[in-house]
Order: sequence, then C-alpha cells, then structure tokens
Amino acid sequence: MDKLAHIKNILDKIRLSEGTTFNYNEDAIVEEYKQLTENTSSLAIKILSIFGGLLTTLFFLGFLAITGLYDSEIGVIVFGAAFIIAAIAINKIVSKLIIDTISFSMYAIGFILLAFGLYNLNLGYNVIAPLFIIIAMCALYSTQNYMFSFISILIISASFIALIVLNEVYNFIPLYIAIYTLITTYVFLNEAKILASSKRVSKLYDPLKTALIFSLFFGFAVIIATDLMHDLTYQLWFLSGIIIATILYLVSVIIKKNDITATKTKLLIYILSTLILASTLYLPAISGALLIILLNVLVNYKTGLAIGIIAFLYFIIQYYYDLNLTLLTKSILLMSSGIVFLLLYVFTSKKLNSNEKI
Amino acid sequence: MTKIDRDDIQIISRNSNWSEKNIDQTLKENIYTSKEAWQKFLRLFFISLGVGFTIAGIIFFFAYNWANLDKFIKIGLIESLIIATTLVILFTKLSNDIKNIILTGTAMLVGVLFAVFGQIYQTGANAYDFFLGWTLFITLWVAVSNFAPLWLIFIILINTTIVLYSQQIAHDWSFVFITTLLFVINSVFLIAALFVNTITKKLNPPRWFTNSLALAAITASTIGISYGLFNTPKGVFFTLITLALIAYGSGIWYGLKAKNGFYLSVIPFSIITIISVLLVNLSDDFGMFLLITIFVITSVTLVIKNLINLQKKWIN
Repeated sequence: MDKLAHIKNILDKIRLSEGTTFNYNEDAIVEEYKQLTENTSSLAIKILSIFGGLLTTLFFLGFLAITGLYDSEIGVIVFGAAFIIAAIAINKIVSKLIIDTISFSMYAIGFILLAFGLYNLNLGYNVIAPLFIIIAMCALYSTQNYMFSFISILIISASFIALIVLNEVYNFIPLYIAIYTLITTYVFLNEAKILASSKRVSKLYDPLKTALIFSLFFGFAVIIATDLMHDLTYQLWFLSGIIIATILYLVSVIIKKNDITATKTKLLIYILSTLILASTLYLPAISGALLIILLNVLVNYKTGLAIGIIAFLYFIIQYYYDLNLTLLTKSILLMSSGIVFLLLYVFTSKKLNSNEKI
Repeated sequence: MTKIDRDDIQIISRNSNWSEKNIDQTLKENIYTSKEAWQKFLRLFFISLGVGFTIAGIIFFFAYNWANLDKFIKIGLIESLIIATTLVILFTKLSNDIKNIILTGTAMLVGVLFAVFGQIYQTGANAYDFFLGWTLFITLWVAVSNFAPLWLIFIILINTTIVLYSQQIAHDWSFVFITTLLFVINSVFLIAALFVNTITKKLNPPRWFTNSLALAAITASTIGISYGLFNTPKGVFFTLITLALIAYGSGIWYGLKAKNGFYLSVIPFSIITIISVLLVNLSDDFGMFLLITIFVITSVTLVIKNLINLQKKWIN
C-alpha cells in the first residue's frame, strides 16, 4: 500500500536524525493512519455536524417546552446530566465521525437543561458556571474527539466570561484577555513541545488552537459590546502593553525566520512596529487580532488565519466607528495610516529585492 | 522526496520517542511558513491595508461633506484620483496581484464618485440607482481583471441593487419572487465560475469564491421555499421549486463528479431544513417536534456517513 511506504519513508528519515535510540510502535501508527483515512473530516463535515446539531437542539428544546417538562427542576437536572454523560460515553466508545452530530447535540442539550434546572433551584450563576467548567474539564480528560474538545474548551471560556459579566467585575476582562493571549502564544510557539508530551495532550492540540482563538475574541467582543473602552482606559492600556510586547517578541521570531541580520534594518523594523502598534493603544482588540494573524501565518494554519483576518477587519471598522472625532479627522487619520502602509509595502519590496540580488 | 504533513508528525510523535528538538526541526522545515511565503504575505498584507485605509480615508473625507468645497473640486478630486490610479495600473510594472488590489480600490472610488454626485444633486443616499450606476460602471474592470475579490464585490453590488429596487420601486414584487431572482442570478454566476476554466485554462476561480456564490444561492432558495410554504402557493413558488430541484440535482451531480464535498453537504442540509419547515407547517404539537428532532439527527448523520464513504472512495 502506498500509505505504508509513505510512513516507512518518514520513519527512516527520523531515524537518521534521532539515531539508534529512536523506537516507535509501528502497529499503533498504522492503526492511527487507518483511523485517520476512515474519519478524515473535511470542513464541510465539521460545519454540517455543528449546524445539524444546532437544528436538532433547537427542535428538541421546542419539544420539551411544549410537553411542559421544564416544570420539574429535578427532572430537568436528571435529564441534563444523563444527556451529558451519555454524550461523553457514546463518544468514548464509538470514536467515529458519524456520531459526532448525535453526541454534539446531546452534549449541548445536556448543558442547556442543566443550566435551566439548576437556575430554577435558585443556585446562582456562581455555582453553575464553576460546575460547568469542572464538567467540561472532565469531558476533555475523558475524550479527545475534535468537536467535543473544541466545544468543551469554548464552554470553559464562556463560563469564565459569564462569571465576570454576571458579577459585574469588568476589571477582570482585561486580565482574562491577557491570560488567554499568553496561553495562545505559548501554544502556537511550542507545538513541538506539546506534541512530544503525553498522548492525551497531543490529541487536544488541534481543537485547542482553534478554540483558543475564539475564546480570545470572546473577550474582545465583551469589551466592545459593553462599551468598556471608556471606563477601563488604564486597564486596557496595560492590556495593550502586554499584547504589543508579545507581538514584538513575535517580530523577533519573524526577523530570524526571514534571515534579516543588519542591525539597522532590525532596529527600523522594531521602531516602525512599535509606532504602528502604539496607535492602537485604545483598543487592544486590533493588536490582538494582528497577533492572531501573525501566529497563524507563522505556523501556516489557514483556518485560523481566515478567522483572524475577519476579526481584524471587524475590530478596525468598530474602532473607527466608535471614535469620537469628526469625519474629517477620521479621514486624515485613515489616509495617513494608509500612506504608512503603502510606504511599508515599498520598503518590504525594496528590501526583498535587494536580498534576492545578494 | 516524501512530503510530510501535520497529521504525519502528530501520529508519529504520539507513538514514538521522537525528541522535541527534532519534531520542532521537522515542523519548521516542512509545515511552517517559509521565508518566501512570509515575504509574499507581508507584501500582500501591506498593500491591502495601504489601499484599504487610503480609500476608507477618502470615503470619510467626502462623507464629511465639506461645505466650503466647491462641487466641481469635489467631483474633480475623485475623478483625478480614479484617473491617476488607473494610469498606475496601466503603465507600471507592478505584479498582477498588486495591480488587481489597486483596481479594487479604484472600483470603490467609483462608488464614492456616485455617492458624492448623489450628495450634491440630492438623489438620496440609499437609492437603488446609486448602486446600479456603481455596478454598471465597474463591469468592464471586473471582466478585465478577473480578480475574485473584485468579482465578489460586483456580485454583492448586483444583489444589493435588486433588493433596493424591490424595496423602493417594485413594490408589487412578492418575497418569493425576490428570492427566486436572487437564487437565479447567483446560480448563473456560480455555473459560469465553475465552468469557465473548461473554456480557457487561464481562468481558475478560487474555491472560497465559488463556495460563497453557492452559499448565497442556496440561502436564497432555502429562505424562499420555506417562506413560500407558509403562504398560499402561487405561480412563482412553483417556478422556484422547479428551478431549485434542477439546480440541486445538478449541484449533487457536480459535487460527485468534481469530488467536492461542499455541495454534497450544503444541498442536503438545505433540503433537510425545508422538510423540517414543512413538517412544522403541518402540525406544531409536541409529537411533531420530537419527530422532527429525530428526522434531523438521522438525516444529517446519514449525509455525513455517505460523505465519509465517498471521501474514502476518492482517496483510494
């Protein structure tokens, strides 16, 4: 089989660099490849299972509403818990792509019912949200299926945000974003370390990457939706500082990758990046989205790049829309940034051309 | 030379004692963005931001509606900008990508021109004729450049024009008729985009472009049919159903032939949605909702199962 030759080829190559101590479990590798070809999930299938799951959840909740099952709190809680456990169990036993829709909708319905029941029992959100975080963590520990892990990580992030927003301690939103920024950067830059660690963690890598991007943007969305820009100026500056420092670190990685060695050029790049980034100090969402774009280009992850670009455009539009200036000032600001970028374009093309000549 | 992808690295690293240092090395050499790709990305990123910001600045400038600025100067300014950028495109040796990005910016300037014209002569900002003029006057550029983002803007403009025309002028158009019209137009563009490379090999529209068109067409037909089901059916409704049937059939055929899973998942999902709406329309007691829940979950699972089987066949 073609695939077997392919695996052998790669393994031989690795042995060359690793030396004699390199050993592997060939059966397990072949088995995983078999699993992979049987369960290759295209983006179309992923989206289909999400939308199918949502539609199912919607109709099932409609069904429950009409039957009046909501009236019994204990019934709802038992139902919810049973759905979550069943969803995890199904996923663990039949790790096939086909049941993704079923287990995903059961998982979602379970959480909604549980939240509903617990809330009616007058257990406040300060009990429910931490409980959800624990449940999602347990789910992450027991099954590493892509969809499931993705949703579980999102539930964890959403619970943190819910805790902050419902308790009205908005000061923690910048902290939430700062922590997620650092985690995301760490995860993207240490792919090898994570893959080389335990099997469980390694399997979580792909969903973790995508879910972290979404979680980070959740945080920014809260800032924009609640109009925090005006109340939290200093906290947001602090947050911008952290994001900008992270980007500058990333710039140093990119400089190395592009073999730029001249000190003068390096210095110029750092100064220009700092100046441009400093102009976004008021809204860290822009530098945050830029960070995501750069990280995704660096590790060559297309889906993340697309999400990053859409978020970037949205945040920029939002930023100028909210800016309390006359249209004329905005216009001058926009045009001058445009000219700066055009100059940067000329600068990069020139530099690259001269590099090619050498 | 074996090509190593992410899956290879992940599977092997999970089942061996491959060292972190060498995994990192392999990732950097085989997966991560190379120096050349970085430079291409930076160039496109800067020129897009540069053109985008400048055009946005120009739009804001005219939106400010400077009272002291004479109308001849206003229109003259935009026109000279349009001429200047067009000259840059015609007479410089920039790469085609860059020229296309500038042309897209220029096409936006045409919009600004019509907006300012409307502002001066009080034609109303949202009037359909503003979008109609804009659409018509960039048609040639769109055809010449064959730049997918510009084509997308063009098609969005056509859709906007139709929706505005139906709201402002053609009050007697029914909702189903409008969705039928949008469905037909987007489908025609989609079919053209899918088959253009059989005529000339030079043109090869990107996947995201054809997928967006297909999504637009299918959204129109799904909403149109679902809406039509809740109202007394008229002649247009049957036309829409017939057209949708033909289009869905050809879409499935194309998906199978071109081994494209996108059409094979979007079309069935549209059908599942329509059938669910039909069922709700028949009855809305709890038994029906349970039935629909089971129907949706089974049908989606079946579609996914078939897709997986097809994928397996395509790989081998």
